[in-house]
Amino acid sequence: MSKFKGTKDRRKGEAPQLEMTPMIDVVFQLLIFFIVTLKQQDIISELGVSRPQPDMRPPPEKQIDELLDIMVYNHKRLGGEGFVLKGQQVSLRDIERHFRRLAGYSTKPSVIIKCTGDSPHANLVKLLDVCHKTGLTKISVFSL
Amino acid sequence: MARKRDDKGCPLDMTPMIDVVFQLIIFFIVVITIDQKLNEDIELEYSRNGPVQKEQDQRTTVIEVDRMGWISMHGARLSPTQLRNMLSDKFRRLGGPFPILIRADHRTKHEDVRAVMDICTTQNIWLIDFAAIKEKKR
Repeated sequence: MSKFKGTKDRRKGEAPQLEMTPMIDVVFQLLIFFIVTLKQQDIISELGVSRPQPDMRPPPEKQIDELLDIMVYNHKRLGGEGFVLKGQQVSLRDIERHFRRLAGYSTKPSVIIKCTGDSPHANLVKLLDVCHKTGLTKISVFSL
Repeated sequence: MARKRDDKGCPLDMTPMIDVVFQLIIFFIVVITIDQKLNEDIELEYSRNGPVQKEQDQRTTVIEVDRMGWISMHGARLSPTQLRNMLSDKFRRLGGPFPILIRADHRTKHEDVRAVMDICTTQNIWLIDFAAIKEKKR
């Protein structure tokens, strides 16, 4: 009696059976892997600023009036970190209020942000966010 | 008369299930983003009102600054000189300025961010973007 009788029989009449179980196992493993490793990306906003370029021409007088000068500082004597607008310590809410008042003007003023070296980057981003919120997009960042 | 029971049982048709599973796998493969090797330790500040770039410029260079002030690109730490050389090479290759995106930790001191911005300006790149989180997903 032949050892491969089953094979012979299959060759004769039955179609070969494909074993599906291992493939389904692998496929499910892959599926689980993808589900577990899938990370949703945060939505990132990009806050554009320009750095001061050397320009030998004196700025026109009108432009000087339209400049908004804000300082971002971190000073122990001034009580930690914060913002200075027109020589006064202000909160972000004050700055936003001031910007909103200016938003009524026909021309959008340029914003100059001056940051001290030890001020945290977070404060600069918060200020840029307020600028974008109030529609001020001409922003320059100086470093002190 | 009692009906003879079928010994073979009810065969389960696997084809639709395999179809669906393959569709899911293809979906995940397509959706999965190629790991950009970003520094996961960097915590960005929130900016709910900042603009979102729908399609990032392919030329954009992402420079990371962690809370200690270390500069890195694509997960590799760089010295200021190395960064300057890399930007200089890219400037020469592209024949002009290209977009710069700075991913700085919210606790990073401005002087460390300034160092990166100063390197950019030495390469005639005056426009710089800062990355911030508009919406957190995870």
